[in-house]
Amino acid sequence: MNENNHRVLLEVQKLTRRFPGVLALNNVDFDLRSGEVHALVGENGAGKSTMINILAGVLSPSSGSVLLDGTPIVFHNPADAQHAGISVIFQEFNLVPQLSVAENIFINREPTRNGLIDWEKMNRHSKEALKRLEIDIDPRLPLSSLSVAQQQLVEIARALAFDARVIVMDEPTAALSEHEVDRLLDIARSLAKDGVGVIYVSHKLEEVFKVADRITVMRDGTHILTDSTANLDEDKVIYAMVGRALIHGRCPDRSFGEIVLTVKDLAVEDSVHNVSFELRAGEILGLAGLMGSGATDVIEALFGLRDAKAGEINLQGKALAIDNPRNAIRSRLGYVPDDRNKAGSLPDLSVKQNITIGILGRLRRFFWIDRKQEQGSAETYREKLNVRCSSLNQRISNLSGGNQQKVVLARALAEDCKVLLLAEPTRGVDVGAKAEIYILIDTLVESGLAVLLESSELPEIIRLANRVLVFASGQIRGELTGEEITQESVMALATRV
Amino acid sequence: MKNFLNKFWKSYSIAVVVLTVGLVLSFLTPRFLKFDNLLNVMTNASLVAIVGLGMTLAIASGNFDLSVGSTAAFAGCIAFSLVPHIGVPASILAGVIAGAVVGLINGLIITELRVPAFIATLGMFTIVRGAALMYTDGKDLTLFGQTGFKVLSGEYLLGIPTPILLAIGIAILLGFMVSQTRFGRHILALGSNFPAAQRSGVPTSRIIWGIFSIVGATAALSGMILSSQVLTANARLATGLELSAIAVVVLGGTALAGGQATMVGTLLGALLIAMINNGLNLLNVPIFYQELTVGVLMLGALAIKMSKGFKLSTLLRRQA
Repeated sequence: MNENNHRVLLEVQKLTRRFPGVLALNNVDFDLRSGEVHALVGENGAGKSTMINILAGVLSPSSGSVLLDGTPIVFHNPADAQHAGISVIFQEFNLVPQLSVAENIFINREPTRNGLIDWEKMNRHSKEALKRLEIDIDPRLPLSSLSVAQQQLVEIARALAFDARVIVMDEPTAALSEHEVDRLLDIARSLAKDGVGVIYVSHKLEEVFKVADRITVMRDGTHILTDSTANLDEDKVIYAMVGRALIHGRCPDRSFGEIVLTVKDLAVEDSVHNVSFELRAGEILGLAGLMGSGATDVIEALFGLRDAKAGEINLQGKALAIDNPRNAIRSRLGYVPDDRNKAGSLPDLSVKQNITIGILGRLRRFFWIDRKQEQGSAETYREKLNVRCSSLNQRISNLSGGNQQKVVLARALAEDCKVLLLAEPTRGVDVGAKAEIYILIDTLVESGLAVLLESSELPEIIRLANRVLVFASGQIRGELTGEEITQESVMALATRV
Repeated sequence: MKNFLNKFWKSYSIAVVVLTVGLVLSFLTPRFLKFDNLLNVMTNASLVAIVGLGMTLAIASGNFDLSVGSTAAFAGCIAFSLVPHIGVPASILAGVIAGAVVGLINGLIITELRVPAFIATLGMFTIVRGAALMYTDGKDLTLFGQTGFKVLSGEYLLGIPTPILLAIGIAILLGFMVSQTRFGRHILALGSNFPAAQRSGVPTSRIIWGIFSIVGATAALSGMILSSQVLTANARLATGLELSAIAVVVLGGTALAGGQATMVGTLLGALLIAMINNGLNLLNVPIFYQELTVGVLMLGALAIKMSKGFKLSTLLRRQA
């Protein structure tokens, strides 16, 4: 990109936002030029979300100003921001699943004729907006019939239909497959080519380096650096994000104990067939595969969330019949679900209560919960996992994503499991917490825990697992050990039909 | 100080509202503060409060029970019909058990047939009312001359009517249960995030059965108190009780989304409604305006509670 040809579209000057007890944004400067993709990166709590929410008109700044085309603007609500030409695509979509694609694109400003909705016009314009993204979806379809990736594109189409000049994408690839990610990055680039300014917020540096013209790093509410992508590399950015170097690479050498888990000829509904493997104490076995490959289903079946149609599961020499999670926990299986918000954290409960929910039976005195024991037990795990919270009585929903994840992990560990089933253990977690969680898992297996790891991030599998089973269409397509585990070798097996 | 005020308002806004309404009423009509009248208000409050306390558990777990009105009438009929055979205490016990059984059936429909609580209890709302009609042949059951059943509504301890003692006792019991026991913690976990609770080993089905059995039992108590006040039980008693019960819970500050519960709030919510009803009576407002007024006041109270922008400290600052 020739920077001189692109004028400044959006400018943020000395933006500050205070919350009770927290300075979420501290004198942050930021600018976006038309025709560029500007990545905004930082750990959770760095202030990215606060800034996006101010741009979206959801929050108002405590001080500082936002200039659009050089004119200071003040948004009182999200609609103001949209009318000004700023569209934010949040992680949680603002779409209505029951309505059609076209209705979603034109929600709140449906074209009318004689006071009635002009369906023909609405569908035609929707089709055009979708075509600009090179997607062929019938705008009359209900939104709920689309995949998550397609729904995201509908959000973008809506932004385009609003004639947005600034499009903010907040963690846009969190729920997408690899192929869909590439597609989205292309779209972001082509939007920029058409003169739109794109702010791309993501944890995934790989994507950021693929798509961004410039990168801005924030940490603890302050602006750390802005530079063009060509002048930066991943290590520099990570260092700026966390303020320290991060461990990359392969899993450390491990010594294994005896076999703790044996799975033989496992079959799950239509999604898994004939899966057999063994897991030793002190080992991390990775389950890799594209979405729908069956890797997730194996974990869910082991934890009793899916019905196993056939197969034998042996834990420490004992045959198990697991048909619900309670049963699985009693058999000493621990589980960290892939989606923390949907199935992991208990948002209304405190950090302490989130840790101890599975072990209250052990903390009993007569028929009530012994407060001292509960406090002690929770404190032990808080320390062990280095959960950062102001108090154990703080609500879990007030913690950062990384710390929430540690609490959910603590819960599984508190249940005293022999085998830990980890599904996407660092989804929605910032780089710093990610490193911490990796090191923690290393320590756990060192002390004899056996881990079954399912992850859609190959670097994560390479970093943690000493052995990988690659899944495709419900079957194990190959096993890789040690040095054999590379992105290429896993992908080769995963895509073999 | 500002933080403290906001926090105080968040937790005790219902107490502030109750005191304010009490103050206003005592100015408007001197009869309001008479001891007898206050007892009367509290007795009426207790009637709804008791079933509201059970409902608090259901709402805290992210559920509803729409069948409590029917259950109340059903339990009243069962108890009254049994008095000639097994005497008053055993009949009351039978009524409570009948309510708990209806609740357990609700729970089983939810967990075993996988029907959402809203629909399951809506079905039972009709079924139980129908069962009560069949059981009584649609006739009134009276216990005139046999005033033993008055124990549930008459004076009892230190001149305090039984319903008030029952409401306070149940509030303490359920309050302790929610905050101090495993069952209570599991209820909150269920209401906060059902899939997460399930994956943490919470026995979700058993908890649901427990919750709805308790709701049924409290509904039965409310129904029998109501019957005992007039010494008549029939299948048409306590219509609309489910809505009053949900209303007092929400007024009291228990979030409809589940995950938290306040028994004191529910008691105060019931007290507020009873005070307003009583005040309107004392002020000779015709009965058909009363329902309307209560509804409007309730929406107003909820709107204030829900509004994000409203903070006590800003209100005070503006006045200063």
